[in-house]
Amino acid sequence: MATIKLTRREVATALSASVVLRAQAPAPQLSQNPALSPDDELKAARDSNRQNSEQLAKFPLPMSTEPVVHFKA
Amino acid sequence: MASIPDDIFFATITEINQKLKAKEFSVQELTKAFSDRLERLGPTYNALALSLRKPAHREARDVDGDIKRERFRGALQGIPFGAKDLLSYAKYPTTWGARPYSGQVFDYTATSLTKLAKMGAILTGKLAMVELAGGPAYRYANASLTGPGLNPWDRTRWSGGSSSGSGIAVAAGLVTFALGSETSGSILTPSAFCGVTGLRPTYGLVSRHGAMGLSWTLDKIGPMCRSAEDCGLVLHEIAGADGQDPATAGKSFYYAPQFSRDLKFIRVGFAPVDFDEAAEPAARPDFAKALEIIRSLGVQVTEVKLPEFPYGPIISTIISSEAASIFEPLIKSGKVDELADPKQIAGLKAGLEIPATDYLKAMRIRSLIQSAFSDLLDDVDVLLAPSRFGPAPKITQPLDRPGSDRPMPAAPGLAALIPAGNLAGLPALSLPCGFADGMPIAIQLVGRPFTENTLLAIGRDFQARTDWHRRRPPMD
Repeated sequence: MATIKLTRREVATALSASVVLRAQAPAPQLSQNPALSPDDELKAARDSNRQNSEQLAKFPLPMSTEPVVHFKA
Repeated sequence: MASIPDDIFFATITEINQKLKAKEFSVQELTKAFSDRLERLGPTYNALALSLRKPAHREARDVDGDIKRERFRGALQGIPFGAKDLLSYAKYPTTWGARPYSGQVFDYTATSLTKLAKMGAILTGKLAMVELAGGPAYRYANASLTGPGLNPWDRTRWSGGSSSGSGIAVAAGLVTFALGSETSGSILTPSAFCGVTGLRPTYGLVSRHGAMGLSWTLDKIGPMCRSAEDCGLVLHEIAGADGQDPATAGKSFYYAPQFSRDLKFIRVGFAPVDFDEAAEPAARPDFAKALEIIRSLGVQVTEVKLPEFPYGPIISTIISSEAASIFEPLIKSGKVDELADPKQIAGLKAGLEIPATDYLKAMRIRSLIQSAFSDLLDDVDVLLAPSRFGPAPKITQPLDRPGSDRPMPAAPGLAALIPAGNLAGLPALSLPCGFADGMPIAIQLVGRPFTENTLLAIGRDFQARTDWHRRRPPMD
């Protein structure tokens, strides 16, 4: 990922982007159905991954079934 | 100086191209009018990430010179367009819709944008998007650096994502076409919710060089336009091999509707349950009419079933694993906490813990999905289903919870066609097909890999018999 240093002109351009951001419509009030704490969010994400894993585990696969990613020499 | 009539903001590529050739107005006049409109209205829908008025004006002056000397470069010459802010444009900010990248600038331009510039298309702005193209998952419409994408048909409703600004900008006449990207639904969903025509190309047909990666094995770049015809014209220019994207298939795309198969030989598969039961009640009448119009095109319509696989867990495991790998530096630096959506933050962090065996299992099942779809698409040429089962939700509605308590039908129909089609790398076309609760709804056509011309031929005929794609949202 190649990022570059900015010239003063480019900094000005970047700042003009933040002008656009300030002009955006205000964010609406969200219905925060009991907002989860960051720890609870992380636990929910882990639970979701575990459930996915359980679903995948139920799917029988013959040994000959290779993943769709192929190494090219 | 010629004034630009309002109709031009909602004209197709071909219509504008003809007027430019007839010198009814210049490319500079057109570009100025579109830039003014994009800057004035874009922020009111949270659709604009960055106006590119100055470089656009320079490009427009050059294209005017070409037209004056009768150097015609094709249908896109002089056409104003926008690009999802996930595509890099050298020396200008590319934020990926996410606060941690708000100051990011690349020194190269995405291949798709370079190709369009070569044909004389004028990039007038970078368009807003859901942060990191949605990452593993997000809960709220405001999961974006620019706020929630507000739907031009009703600003209390969501535009859909993650190509939110692209859908809005085309629908509201802020650009003539836009580029979006899809990992799983990010072109089809905003196209359906905003009432524009969107094409998800076959995986590998369009270079992703210069695009943010979310999932290397799923990401695609595609056009969002006013019509199927316009999608064909744009895809014609952006498709093709690129040594800078190892996933490109090395295939070109020639938009040639005149050579498409006679529609009476095309077999279209659908599941009645999608239209009769899974669709929201308000959407059923127009979905039923759309199905009748598809039948009236002369295609052979038959019922099909989707192969049975755990599509959701598979695509979720793949996206979460690949996204966590791509954004590992962001996650480990702690800057991930600057994202707007708590569910996305947690999803990225938890993605780092997915066992390699789960990822590989998902990718192994994916190879079976590919085979199963190859078999299914021996029996039919095209799959047909609602793009989404209902209109856009309210922007305050959590996106990870159902909008109603309505029970889902016992038979799954083609409900999983978006994740399934993306897992199999299949092309899809979303066509506006009516309204529900005053909001646009759409159908999707999905075909075998590299059969975009077949989808576009059906789309063109469908749009010759309907005017849904011509409808305009109420503007202030």
